[in-house]
Amino acid sequence: MPLKSLCKMLMVWTWTVQALFLFLTIDSAGGGILKPCGHIIPESPVIAPNTTFTAICVLDDSECLRDQHLNANQIFWKIKDTYVPKEQYTVLNRTAASVTLENVSSLGGLLTCNILLYGQIVQTIYGIQIRVGWAPEKPKKLSCIVNGLSNMKCQWDPGKETHLETTYVLKSEWPTRPLTDCIPPPNVNNSCTVDMVVVYVNMDVWVVATNALGNVSSDRINFDPIDIVKLLPPYNVTVSNSKEISSILKVSWANPVDKPFEGLKYNIRYRSSDASNWTLIPPEDTASTRDSFTVQYLKPFTDYVFSIRCMNIEGRGFWSDWSAEASGITYEAKPSNAPSFWYTIDPSQGHGYRLVHLKWKALPRSEANGRILDYEVTLREGKTPRFQRYINDTNLTLNVTNDAFVVSLKARNMIGSSEPSTLTIPGRDFKAAHPVKNLRAFPKDNELWVEWTPPNEPVNKYVLEWCVFSDNLPCTPEWQQEGSATKLTYLRGNLMESKCYLIMVIPVYDNGPGSPQSVKAYLKQAAPSRGPFVRTKKVGKNEAVLVWEHLPVDDQNGFIRNYTIFYRTSSGNETAVHVNSSHTEYTLSPLTSDTLYMVRMAAYTDEGGKDGPEFTFTTPKFAQGEIEAIVVPVCLAFLLTTLLGVLLCFNKLDLIKKHIWPNVPDPSKSHIAQWSPHTPARHNLHPKDQMYPEGNFTDTDVSVVEIEANEKKPLPEDLKSLDLFKKEKITTEGHSSGIGGSSCMSSSRPSISSNDESESGQNTSSTVQYSTVVHSGYRHQLPSVQVFSRSESTQPLLDSEERPEDLQIVENGGNGDGASPRQQYFKQNCNQDEISPDLSHFERSKQVSSVNEEDFVRLKQQQMSDQRSQSSGSGQIKDFEDVSAADHFGSSTEGQIQRFETIGLEAATDEGMSKSYLPQTVRQGGYMPQ
Amino acid sequence: MLPVAGEPAGDSWGMLACLCTVLWHLPAVPALNRTGDPGPGPSIQKTYDLTRYLEHQLRSLAGTYLNYLGPPFNEPDFNPPRLSAEALPSATVDFDVWRSLNDHLRLAQNYQAYSHLLCYVRGLDRHAATAELRRSLAHFCTSLQGLLGSIAGVMAALGYPLPPQGAEPAWAPSPSPSDFLQKMEDFWLLKELQTWLWRSAKDFTWLKKKMHSSAAAVTLRLEAPASDL
Repeated sequence: MPLKSLCKMLMVWTWTVQALFLFLTIDSAGGGILKPCGHIIPESPVIAPNTTFTAICVLDDSECLRDQHLNANQIFWKIKDTYVPKEQYTVLNRTAASVTLENVSSLGGLLTCNILLYGQIVQTIYGIQIRVGWAPEKPKKLSCIVNGLSNMKCQWDPGKETHLETTYVLKSEWPTRPLTDCIPPPNVNNSCTVDMVVVYVNMDVWVVATNALGNVSSDRINFDPIDIVKLLPPYNVTVSNSKEISSILKVSWANPVDKPFEGLKYNIRYRSSDASNWTLIPPEDTASTRDSFTVQYLKPFTDYVFSIRCMNIEGRGFWSDWSAEASGITYEAKPSNAPSFWYTIDPSQGHGYRLVHLKWKALPRSEANGRILDYEVTLREGKTPRFQRYINDTNLTLNVTNDAFVVSLKARNMIGSSEPSTLTIPGRDFKAAHPVKNLRAFPKDNELWVEWTPPNEPVNKYVLEWCVFSDNLPCTPEWQQEGSATKLTYLRGNLMESKCYLIMVIPVYDNGPGSPQSVKAYLKQAAPSRGPFVRTKKVGKNEAVLVWEHLPVDDQNGFIRNYTIFYRTSSGNETAVHVNSSHTEYTLSPLTSDTLYMVRMAAYTDEGGKDGPEFTFTTPKFAQGEIEAIVVPVCLAFLLTTLLGVLLCFNKLDLIKKHIWPNVPDPSKSHIAQWSPHTPARHNLHPKDQMYPEGNFTDTDVSVVEIEANEKKPLPEDLKSLDLFKKEKITTEGHSSGIGGSSCMSSSRPSISSNDESESGQNTSSTVQYSTVVHSGYRHQLPSVQVFSRSESTQPLLDSEERPEDLQIVENGGNGDGASPRQQYFKQNCNQDEISPDLSHFERSKQVSSVNEEDFVRLKQQQMSDQRSQSSGSGQIKDFEDVSAADHFGSSTEGQIQRFETIGLEAATDEGMSKSYLPQTVRQGGYMPQ
Repeated sequence: MLPVAGEPAGDSWGMLACLCTVLWHLPAVPALNRTGDPGPGPSIQKTYDLTRYLEHQLRSLAGTYLNYLGPPFNEPDFNPPRLSAEALPSATVDFDVWRSLNDHLRLAQNYQAYSHLLCYVRGLDRHAATAELRRSLAHFCTSLQGLLGSIAGVMAALGYPLPPQGAEPAWAPSPSPSDFLQKMEDFWLLKELQTWLWRSAKDFTWLKKKMHSSAAAVTLRLEAPASDL
């Protein structure tokens, strides 16, 4: 049946390939089961790789053979879809043909026997599956072990994978009879467990492996199962301690029940719970069957862990596995050691007292031997005990006198107290001495070791204090105590790498601590955190002085062994200079002048170095003082030359003067006659001319000028010049106001009257101080004319006088001898002629007009129009006064108004009296040369 | 000895050589015994060990089984009369009579007794209800088979023929008329087993001692002529 279905299946496959539905099978008589037209021999071959295989296809002598006229010649073979070459075919007879395949290595080869129908249609007759695999290898390394009592597990090495279904059977037999085979569970080919093995009877054991290609047996092993027994470990392990003896623990257990013998021996191992190494109790002590054992020489108050294993007492078989661990704690004992004990003194308390901070370290568990309940602190002064205290903490602060005293400390647990640890706190005036010698510290095996030579005096103990030495953090010392015999120890603490530790060793004597010695060390050095900041202190033409500061301790990370200065120009190679670590200054030379240098600096510890930032500087073109050396002589030479020139000038002054300054005539020394046609006026214009009495001339002089101006109409130049002259005079006054008397040296022409005035002032009285400052107004503004009246002078004012009445008052106030005749004269003039005040007004109006010609012109125009409508008189004046005031000045000082009155007066009289001036003047002027 | 002394001088040399050879081989004697033909010694020792082990095994089995039978069988002072157990091979033979037997007979008696007992133990298996008990009985049976084989081995090593095996089915246990009598039979079976094992242990200890002393003598006797050749 399976054959047929296989054949059917194969045919179905073929049909799918051929796409032709042609049945070469014939319906059997019964129920539609197809009968193949042939078959292949062998039916299901299993072959080893690389062997030759021959298959024969036999065509059944049936209907299909007859119907289709098939012949063995037409048979061809295929492996899967590949045609087998014709050369490998052999036609045996009419109905049978064979194929020979060599080196069949494909594991899943489907070999089919086919036939060609009608010369073109491929039809599969039959197919077989060729299975390729290996014969089993001989099992090796067979070994067995008896677990507990009855189960025996045997293992072996099955060897190479066969790729075929292979069975393994563990066979065993006694000498007298065979035993039941052991068949491994499915999918296990390398072990089997035999149930109920009998000990003390030798047995043979071997493995037989079988598959389609053959079978093979392993070597036999013969043994008595008792020799391969591995018991189960002891169980229920418990540990109990003893209150009487703190150094023992009793271990109890239960032996494995299921065992083929009575006698057992044991291994007992133990360790303290924080250790990892086991200690084995000597096996000879545990070589007998038992269920408990007492372990001695243990440490008090320590947690121990135990485990046990067992085996046959005769040593047959194997050790069991180790039992589950059990632990127990030994009982407490009194502390075996006194605690480390130290103190610090806070001397800040006054009044003969000081604070003593006592501190001690909790005993390690191995020395405490129990739970420390408290510490007993006893203070004695001399022989007399002062007090006793029980402290739970590990420090105590006492406020004590400055006297020496002795403190002792005991640690107590529930069993008892430790030996006392005693310290002498010396008096305040105690001088520490006898330090340790040759102190040094070095790292080794990741610890910081301290070594010293003991002092000559007997030492009770040593105290080591240490702290991180840092700029930022204060030193908070840790400490540890060492015995009197110690010369070398390491710091027991959590030390950090690349930190500087300041370690202090203090020997402690009977009478107090000795003087401390300290040393600095690193657990492990590292390169500095940063390099030094180098800069220049002075840069010369060919050298530069570099300065830097030592790195702060926190950045050093080790002992700075040396510095290296690297410097280079922007283009050149770098040059390195090594500098001793103690230096902070270095002079780089020779350098090239006027060159940019880049310099940086590295600091090195034993572990490496670190560069600092780069600093750039430029060497100057000239050395210091070089410029001065050039400039100073040059300046000196120039100065000398100049001096020589000046000297020469002075020597040849006249000559030079002649050449450089041509002789300009001094206007002050000139005569008006030289450029005016009227000689008499010359005298008036020269105040320095002392020929005439002053008073007469002054007045006359003015009159003369007026006359001439009027008379000589055909000579307008003169008048003009006179006007100009007057104008200039006023401006000069204004300009020279600040100069005062020194204005005598200024240009001569405009200062006719002013010179006159000042001269007259000088002549009349040296105490006369006056000056009239007239600011020339700008365009519409009339300058305010400030009049400084003389205080004591009796001299008459020449120009810009007040009204005669005012003058009189002033003159009456003063009493100058020289002035009186002139006053008189003036008065006469005034009395004689009504107009004489007008004259002065006129004069003043002239002055004003010269100050501001435009205003004057306007005034004139106004006057012209007023003239027609209004007649003369005081009302007229008043009106004008109003108009002019309204017209020109919004607000005016009294003086200004006064002056405009005078202007208006002048203007009013101008047209009325202009014609009458001349006769008056002529009348008056008997002085006129005409 | 006299004719030996009367031998020419060469003989004294031979004596010396013999002595030397014996001395030389003395430490090697046990090794010789183990490596080549082991002889009966080890197998006797093994049989003894197995007997002791069976004793040990039987103790736990009997405890369990008697508990299974229930009172009064599991009471320690229960000592019923030996009824309905005539078929069991009795170990209650007089000690002197037993000692007077030769090794072969004793061994043969042992073998036959255990053969019969094994059949009865297998019968126990039929009654046992719990799997644990079945397993213990099965293991005991296997061990008992091992003991039979072991005794056979010893007999073979000593050159004795095995007693005839064909009689075994004759002792096939017949069903007891009542359940109590059946239990009584089981009780006596366990008791007999215990006695037999105890006796066998003694037998093998004795045989072991005997073999040890004789083995040494035999070896010497064998060695001396060999060296003379």
